[in-house]
Amino acid sequence: MAYLTGIGITAYGKHPGLQPLDLMEQAVLAALADSGLQRDALDGLITGYATTHPHLMMGTVVCERLGLKPRHAHQAQCGGATGAMALVLARHLIAAGACRHVLVVGGENRLTGQSRDDAVKTLATVGHPEHEVPLGASIPAYYALLAARYLHETGANEAELAELAVLMRRHALGHPLAQLRKAITVEDVMASKPVSTPLKLLDCCPITDGGAAVIVSAEPLAKAAIKLTGWGEAHTHQHVSEIPDDLGLGARIAGAAAFETAGRKPADVGLLGIYDSFTPTLAIFLEALGFAPPGGAGRAAREGRFGRDGALPLNLHGGLLSFGHPGVAGFMAHVVEVVGQMRGEAGNRQVRDAPLAYCHADGGTLSSHVGFVLERLS
Amino acid sequence: MSGVALFSCRACGHVWQFRRAMCPACAATDIAVVEAKGGGTVWSATSVHRAPTPDLDVAGGYGIALVTLDEGPRIMARAPTDLVIGERVTVRAENGLPTIFRA
Repeated sequence: MAYLTGIGITAYGKHPGLQPLDLMEQAVLAALADSGLQRDALDGLITGYATTHPHLMMGTVVCERLGLKPRHAHQAQCGGATGAMALVLARHLIAAGACRHVLVVGGENRLTGQSRDDAVKTLATVGHPEHEVPLGASIPAYYALLAARYLHETGANEAELAELAVLMRRHALGHPLAQLRKAITVEDVMASKPVSTPLKLLDCCPITDGGAAVIVSAEPLAKAAIKLTGWGEAHTHQHVSEIPDDLGLGARIAGAAAFETAGRKPADVGLLGIYDSFTPTLAIFLEALGFAPPGGAGRAAREGRFGRDGALPLNLHGGLLSFGHPGVAGFMAHVVEVVGQMRGEAGNRQVRDAPLAYCHADGGTLSSHVGFVLERLS
Repeated sequence: MSGVALFSCRACGHVWQFRRAMCPACAATDIAVVEAKGGGTVWSATSVHRAPTPDLDVAGGYGIALVTLDEGPRIMARAPTDLVIGERVTVRAENGLPTIFRA
């Protein structure tokens, strides 16, 4: 029904002088070339938002820029889960017969397009305007509260969380387009500057310029048939003040729905693309989804479970933590990597055969979840 | 009393903090405004060393915590930087901001 037929990505890092539309355009051109489609075959578009280019109608702005005349176009907004949400929505558009080839694109010059203070300030506004933002809370502070709670509940420690940052960096070393490519150790993470306890700088993803695009089609095209076979969402709260007692609840609901739709179970999965804005985000997801025991994500990473040659290769491009996080395109890089791996195109990062993958993203503070299953049919 | 306003559902007794016309638990619309007594337990706490705006930065950081009030809701508050999860505390509005004091 819906196949991921084209992937495109820019280098992640600094692109001084490039605007969000420039980065999106680069990624789209790469995705078109990858798919073999002609531009005018694209009859649907879902774009993300860009904090450096706020616009009420980014969907149409992107259509105009690319010369697209689609039957459907809009701008999706769901924080870090926007790209995942857009891919699932693209599938629904195709299933409804509304479109045949939907372009999903995100891109932003989040690093060079604004001052660091402006970036941090913009992101802090996801907090509650009356009850959270006035207290001086920031996104790292919200996640720090979740991290402290996670450590308290599971008995895991900060050094174990640091293992996830070390792993993501190790994976990024193999990718020429990754933003952060200097090897780090657990000691480096532990010694990095405190941001909001227990989070240190290296527990946090960087701010990044970059763009990514994925084409979703009604049929497979030239490359291997990568089908979106399952999807699930959960929206348990927006603000961290109202998070359910069970930190993993939203992830579990979305994951269970995705596997149920696909008729698969987590044990069938051989490749993961999991949102990793902060080390605790990744730990909470891996454990809630059943890919690591409670409190055991960091230890499992240390033992090699999530490495290229492990049982469950994870974010082999380096994730948000090391490949980079330019907003909507952040998680889309996970999808680009997963699809490349499933096709066998990942070069020196290539895992042994990976015919079935699970991807999961959240927006807000574990607020909105989108999980989906990808399967290679040929 | 704490000076911290809460909402209470007259139908099911659920208590929460954010302004709403409909009870999030049972969807009833008969809502009362109540004041938190001030007692609570620390659910999580952090010390912020990188403020969202430079004017807020404090040497050594400032504390923010989520505290579960005795009435039920969990709210965010300014806090000492050395709070421990599970600690019993008192919450009071100071300059309009819920602030945690050691019980």
